[in-house]
Amino acid sequence: MIRILARYSILFILTLLVLTILSFALAYLFPGDVLENLTGITPQNDMQREALMRQYRLDQNVVVQFVHYLGDLASGDWGYSFSSGLSLREEIGIAMPATIELSFYAILMALLIGIPLGYYAGIRSYSVSDKSINALSVTTYSIPVYWFALILILIFSLNLDIAPISGRISLLFDIPPVSGFILIDIMMTENIDKGLAMRDAFSHLALPTFAVGAITTASVVRLIRRSVIDVKNRPYITAARSRGLSGWRIFSQHVIRNALLPILPLMAIQITTLITNAMIVETLFSWPGIGNWLIQAIYQRDYPALRVGMLAVSTLVISLTILIDLFNRIIDPSREKYERATV
Amino acid sequence: MPQFSLYEEAFHPSPWHRTWAAFRESHIAIIGLFVLGMFVVFSVFAPVLSPYDPNAQNIDGLLIPPSWAMSGSISNLFGTDALGRDLFSRIMYGCRITLGSGLLMVVLAMLIGVSIGTLAGMLKGVRSSIVNHLLDALMAIPTLLIAIIIVAILGTGLVNSMWAITLALIPQFIHHTRRFVRSEAKKEYILASRLDGANKWQLFVHSILPNMTEMLVVQGTLALSIAVIDISALGFLNLGAQSSLPELGAILADGLDVAYLAPWNVALPGITIFVLVLSINVVGDGLRSALRKRMSQ
Repeated sequence: MIRILARYSILFILTLLVLTILSFALAYLFPGDVLENLTGITPQNDMQREALMRQYRLDQNVVVQFVHYLGDLASGDWGYSFSSGLSLREEIGIAMPATIELSFYAILMALLIGIPLGYYAGIRSYSVSDKSINALSVTTYSIPVYWFALILILIFSLNLDIAPISGRISLLFDIPPVSGFILIDIMMTENIDKGLAMRDAFSHLALPTFAVGAITTASVVRLIRRSVIDVKNRPYITAARSRGLSGWRIFSQHVIRNALLPILPLMAIQITTLITNAMIVETLFSWPGIGNWLIQAIYQRDYPALRVGMLAVSTLVISLTILIDLFNRIIDPSREKYERATV
Repeated sequence: MPQFSLYEEAFHPSPWHRTWAAFRESHIAIIGLFVLGMFVVFSVFAPVLSPYDPNAQNIDGLLIPPSWAMSGSISNLFGTDALGRDLFSRIMYGCRITLGSGLLMVVLAMLIGVSIGTLAGMLKGVRSSIVNHLLDALMAIPTLLIAIIIVAILGTGLVNSMWAITLALIPQFIHHTRRFVRSEAKKEYILASRLDGANKWQLFVHSILPNMTEMLVVQGTLALSIAVIDISALGFLNLGAQSSLPELGAILADGLDVAYLAPWNVALPGITIFVLVLSINVVGDGLRSALRKRMSQ
């Protein structure tokens, strides 16, 4: 147990180190001036330039520069955006929770709908209902997410006019960002009609969540179905059946838990796809999340923002992945380290 | 005549024959294969089959509706876009670019992924642990993020976005190759060749690689569907193919400007991407279940 924990913390630190090295290298790789890419400040004259060079240790060798960069990252000095001139740390602090919120609801939807459907299809494998669930999930899985989001906007926002087209909440509500999560912020704000604000926030959330969630749900259904069918063919299920256990008992005592185990590491892979999808959907719904922010940054060639944004997003995704992997190792020590299930 | 024949059947199907026989049993998979084949024919023969030049602008025929609409005409099957370019020809060339670049990326990612995966699978001890874990962790970086970084360094363009997607596809191949090599290396037939004095290279080329091809084909179809979705997504976001190049995602993004006036400019490229990806996924699923059936026999 302690060995596993130690191993994973070393892995985590090593990966973070690789990522920070990458992000530091980006300042050199991006077009333009290294000092401007690193700080986001355009020096007005030579004197200011030299002062900044000294402050960021750019006059010394690369190792010293990198160590100083690490210190800056740790102390919260992430540089300034080219386009807005604001501190990047504050901008990411607002954008990141919006993405996490959207992804969280999408995952929730995928788990709540995908797991029961997947179990049902797996138990009734090769029946008509299984085949229709499978067909539906392959179809949903194949829809390009940006087109799906466009169709949702067309149907629900433009034709039926029941959902707003963009943003997180109507501008009529003045909600100061405290935690960054809109629903929590509404609860904490005084002097507004909380019920109305909540309803408004939910109607803004519905379409983007559905666009991201539907595709995640489809892959969860496929994974669970496959895993249940694999478990059903195991000898211990035959043994249980020969002992005369009822179908329900076999399902509840032997199938449910054993089918979930091989799926966990695959869920970790799904997070990557999920975040990519969320980032694309954010641009279509003008959701003020990190994906929208990064894509605006690339359109405006805002290099400091890209450098830190890349570090922030990849750190988030990788910490989640490593956590899931670690959790999986702890609850399932019997498995080989590199073993993973297939779809 | 021998007293009893060991093999009753006169014809001994090879593994590929048996997979094909199992694949043929599923009607949906056959339909998927047919549709995919159609897309391949369209892509390969686009210059011969397309009625117009995909970039030829016709000022007299802006935003003509598709032929099945009331005011449409058969001379432009799918109608025209805001610059009077024939949508059918554009989509045909779009399949060529999207599917073609997708295939190219998958082959490239497969070559690199298999080589690194084999190395990682054959390494032992601390070195392999570090290589494996770091690769595992780094494969978690989202494709879009890699694409954004590469576009920021090299600039927009189809080729640059292809590099980004290839980079993002490689880890899957590394992962599966590594796992396959590890599990295969424990089997008896590998031990037998090793006792015969085969070195690592010979083991890989003569024993492991022939058994790996099927896994690679299945992984390849999976990767192809991801590649097609990703390249069109980057085209749509204006980070990949630029709008002068008929790439399916870029065509869709072009149509977005006139989505109110001419919804078919958004609908038709979208449906094309969807059907293309669906056919790839159906064929991939069919292949996988065919292999599974053959293995369980």
